[in-house]
Formats: sequence, structure tokens, C-alpha cells
Amino acid sequence: MKKLFQNSWRLAPVLLLLLAGSVMTASAQGPKLQMDQLDLLANRASQTVDVKLDGRLLQTTFKFFSGKDRGDAKIKEVLKGLKGIYVKSFEFEKEGEYSQVEVDSIMSQLSGSTWSKVLTVKSKKDGQNIGVYLNMLGDQINGLAVLSLEPKELTVVNIVGPIDLEKLSELEGQFGVPDLGIEQEKTKKP
Amino acid sequence: MKAKITITGLVMALLLSAGPQGVLARDGFSDAVKTIEQFYHVKHRSIPLLARAGMKAVRTAAKIRGGEYKRLAEAGSVRVAFFEDQIFNSRGQIATFKASMYAALAVDWSPLVQTLAPGNEEQTYIYIREAGNKFHVLVVTIDRHEATVVQATIAPEILAQLMKDPSDMGKAVTEDATINDP
Repeated sequence: MKKLFQNSWRLAPVLLLLLAGSVMTASAQGPKLQMDQLDLLANRASQTVDVKLDGRLLQTTFKFFSGKDRGDAKIKEVLKGLKGIYVKSFEFEKEGEYSQVEVDSIMSQLSGSTWSKVLTVKSKKDGQNIGVYLNMLGDQINGLAVLSLEPKELTVVNIVGPIDLEKLSELEGQFGVPDLGIEQEKTKKP
Repeated sequence: MKAKITITGLVMALLLSAGPQGVLARDGFSDAVKTIEQFYHVKHRSIPLLARAGMKAVRTAAKIRGGEYKRLAEAGSVRVAFFEDQIFNSRGQIATFKASMYAALAVDWSPLVQTLAPGNEEQTYIYIREAGNKFHVLVVTIDRHEATVVQATIAPEILAQLMKDPSDMGKAVTEDATINDP
């Protein structure tokens, strides 16, 4: 009995994550992903980056990108209508520091009917596996998510609002969106 | 005469009992300072405006991705607290510290950028809140032996440029507050 109790106690964080995952699946049909459950990975990661640019902030500052500067004009176009940019990235010293449970807590949200995978990039050499997902309502794009898995790195990017792959590539390296090197000619699902 | 001494004594007792919390009014800045002190068991040092003016270095303009600005923060808006020559060790619980900072500030501040590297204890927390047509920015930077808390008011056009490179924002605001004229 004591052993059973000890084992149950040890499994508690995993069960909590699974429970959180199932609750999130039910509630996360919208374009904003729940990512806070990943925060505990910061204790094991060698480097954590957490960026939250909400819609109010984006739209308040959006008008200050001058149309005169070519770079700023492009940014202004990309940011137009966006309701949030959220990034969580964890780098680890060694492999196996994050588990499938953490990956599933994001994947379960992306398996909802409003999400569809539009791009897969796999690299055997680096063990990199990137999935790009779009949240659609009819013909309208409501958001985008990128899940990048590497043996020593886990990155989730969630952009809420009208965004496509072209705009995503404009944002790479800016506003906290990492340079993912996504090439558009890869697998494209209808 | 006796009454005068009693009143002076009462005033002094009140001032003493207020302690540092009385000096730092309860707001995001003092909440961040207190959170660091409680988690890491360290003590801060506030730098008065005049002393900060003496720290002015050669650099006269803050270079950020969007251009070069003479100053990022609005004049007179900067508050700084230093923690020097102390030991910052989160003992594998850096995520707990991040959560504590969020709990202390979340009522009226929004987290913008948070970077953590437990190996060398390097951390940057940037929180933001609207202040009329400007923004209050709160930046906490920590490394193994030092920490700085900076609060400043920033115009939206400067914030827009800083947001292009959020990972550099903390460094830019902290340097602006501690190196340039206050």
C-alpha cells in the first residue's frame, strides 16, 4: 500500500500534465495555445526564452512603425491585425531533458479540428523536426503555431491573428520569433 | 517642551518602523525588489538620482535596432535598485523564482520577455504596463553576483523599436538607466 502511494506520488506531475492536456484539448480550439505548462522545463534547461507580445501592445506600438522606412513599412504590414506573438524556447545541455508528455501537451491542442498542419521540415542530420500549423475558420487564418523539436531544444511559437508562412518568414529573427529557417518548398498539405 | 520631544519621538518611531518599505512605495518596482530579496536572501541598495548622475559614462546615445536615441527613458522617470557582491543561487528552482516574480507583478504588469540561464544564474525579466499614452517598463537583470531593477517610462515610438529585438531590450533599458544621465 505504501509502495503504491509512493508510486502514485511520483506519477503525480505526469498525471497533472496529462489532465492539463486533456482540459486544454477541449478548450483550445482557438488560435491561442496554452503553453504555461512548459514553464517547469526552465529548471532543467540551460537557456529559456519566454516572449509574450499581446495584441493590445502590438496594436498600440504598430502605428509607430513609420511607412517611410522600408523595413518598418514591411513590419507594419506584417503586424497589422495581429493579436499576439508568444514564444517559448528551451535549450538543454543534454538530450532527453524534455519528454513526450510536454510535447503532447502542445500537440493535443493542435489536433483540434480548427488546426491543420501545413508544413513539415525534418532533418536527419540535426534530428530537427519542425511542424507548422494554421488555425483556420472557413477561409480565414486566425493563427499559426510552430513546434520545433530537436534533441536538445524545444521551441513553440504561437502567433494569433491573420498570418501566413510568408509573413512568418518576415517575422523570423524579430519580435522574439526565432530564426527557424523554414523553407516553403517543403511538404504542403491541402 | 516635553510635548515637542514626544512628537519628535513619535515621528522618528514612525519613520523607523516604516523601514525600507516605507521609502519604496508599494508598486511594481518595490514588489520586484522585495521578491528578489525574499527568494535569494539578499539586500538591495538604492542609488539616489544625484549619485547616478555621477555614473555618466562616455556613451551619450543608446543604440538599438531601430536607430540611435539620445535617451530611451523619459527624463526623471528612472528608478534603480542595485544588488552588488552577493550570491544569487536559485538551487535548481529558477522556474519558481520566475513564478514568484509573476505572482508579485501580474496584477497590473504584463510579462514581455523573460530569459533564464540557470547555469550562470543569468536572468532578465521585462514587464510592462500602460501609463497614459506612454509605457512603464520594469527590467530585472540578475547574474551570479549582481542584480539590477530598473523602472522607467518609455514613449511608445521607442518601445516599438525596442520590441523588434526583445532579447536586447533589457540590456538597452538597463544601460540607459544606469549609464546615461537620469
